[in-house]
Amino acid sequence: MEYIVQTQNLSKCFGKEQAVSNINLQIRKGEIYGFLGPNGAGKTTTIRMLLGLMKPSSGTIKIFQKDIMKERIQILANVGSLVENPSYYPHLTAYENLEALRKILGVPKARIDEVLQIVRLKEAANKKVKGFSLGMKQRLGIAAALLHNPELLILDEPTNGLDPSGIIEIRNLIKRLPKEYGMTIIISSHLLSEIDQMATQVGIVSKGTLIFQDSIEEMRKFAQPKVTFKVSNSEKGWRSLLANGIRADYHDGVIFLEECSDEKVAHIVQVLVQEGISVFRVEEEKRSLEEIFLQMTAGELTI
Amino acid sequence: MMGKLLTADFLKIKRKGLWFLTLLGPIGVVALQMVNYGVRKDYLLQQSEDDWGYFLLNIHSFTPLAIVLGIAILTSFMASIENETNAWKQLIALPVSKLSVYLSKFTVLAILLFLSSTLLMIFTLSYGLFLNLGEPVPYLELAKFSYFPALAALPILALQLWIASVCHNQGIPITVGIFGVIFAYSSYVLPDWMIWKWPSLMNQWDEPIINVMLGVGIGILLYIVGVIDFARRDVK
Repeated sequence: MEYIVQTQNLSKCFGKEQAVSNINLQIRKGEIYGFLGPNGAGKTTTIRMLLGLMKPSSGTIKIFQKDIMKERIQILANVGSLVENPSYYPHLTAYENLEALRKILGVPKARIDEVLQIVRLKEAANKKVKGFSLGMKQRLGIAAALLHNPELLILDEPTNGLDPSGIIEIRNLIKRLPKEYGMTIIISSHLLSEIDQMATQVGIVSKGTLIFQDSIEEMRKFAQPKVTFKVSNSEKGWRSLLANGIRADYHDGVIFLEECSDEKVAHIVQVLVQEGISVFRVEEEKRSLEEIFLQMTAGELTI
Repeated sequence: MMGKLLTADFLKIKRKGLWFLTLLGPIGVVALQMVNYGVRKDYLLQQSEDDWGYFLLNIHSFTPLAIVLGIAILTSFMASIENETNAWKQLIALPVSKLSVYLSKFTVLAILLFLSSTLLMIFTLSYGLFLNLGEPVPYLELAKFSYFPALAALPILALQLWIASVCHNQGIPITVGIFGVIFAYSSYVLPDWMIWKWPSLMNQWDEPIINVMLGVGIGILLYIVGVIDFARRDVK
């Protein structure tokens, strides 16, 4: 399988501080790759290196199978990006902002109207960007990234500062792009719920290292509910369950099982009762993705 | 690629007052002499046999100041367009080389500077003719006094653009610019090697062409140093 983006042992130091260390990204065509991590984990630094804005301290980056250090310009001709806060020229109108970029990219003028239509800024096209709300500036940034119909779109926290309806709008737009235009999208965020609703593939960074990279389904498996049993003599209960061929876990005086069908729960209760153990509580405990995310990135927590 | 970048850069300087400053500089320099000659024309004409030469010298006494000050303001405005919302990252993530981005900025500024010099020549000639300074009109001298200071000021342009585009704090290039103006104002006492003296066209050999050649040479050198440093840096 061909990778659109592939990095090998990508690292970046700022002085003594190691911002990114040995990241191996693998992103296939048509994917929406969610790049997750707490603030300051190295997401933006990685994205800057992907765009050739920063030089890696070590490691290689290949985009479209080409080395970014050698063929930066050819690669960037097919990459659209929005890095961190949107950049714009406040003294120019939305249309002029896009025109300044269009001149460099060399795409037809009609494309400006198209992208303004896509992000719904058509009415504000001839107003100065100075007076735009943050959401409008963000959408202008996305319009700029879409201007040359790139094969790869890199969006760093694109829903920052948007109101709920703006977030939904952008989310729908991002989901549409791979289907309609065959784009591959990298989208970074510190909010898992956001990525959960868009991404097909997920990469999680913490303290500069990639700690998880797989499909969103794999990630969701971590979020399976577990069933806990509180009983009168839990150790004895646990042993008898094992004796009956039920693989349960025992921890802190509680028996718990992962992935439990209704029949299985009934069977367990039956076994326990037959052993003369009183069953006090049978509870289902749901683990949210947020919890898993926090667990994975534990140690990063500041509050 | 350069052509595209240049047209984009000319679009970006719209409504930023750069064109206005380009016009204001030469108007200011000639306007000062309008006051001077308006008040005491008869006295000034008695000072020298060569009325045109004396008039050009008077004009030239303010040209270096206007150029040094103008360069500091123009470069700072130019860099602030990209610095304001850190548009550098957007610009450099486009399929363009960093070298051409820098060259484009430098070229726009150089064009504005030479446009200003041309306007200075036109205004000087017009006012000189209005004053009826006599025949023949020294066209060659006029052109020299208009373009030589700008050419001699190229190192200042290269230096200021370098500082303005690598410093996110625009206070630094402005400070350097202010010192430059002070230096230019005290050209008489400065040693010949100071780049801020060169637009005054003074040197110990009394040969203005030396300042022009030094200006172009050192200007190119400082430009190369600036562009290498600019390309080397990470974009934050």
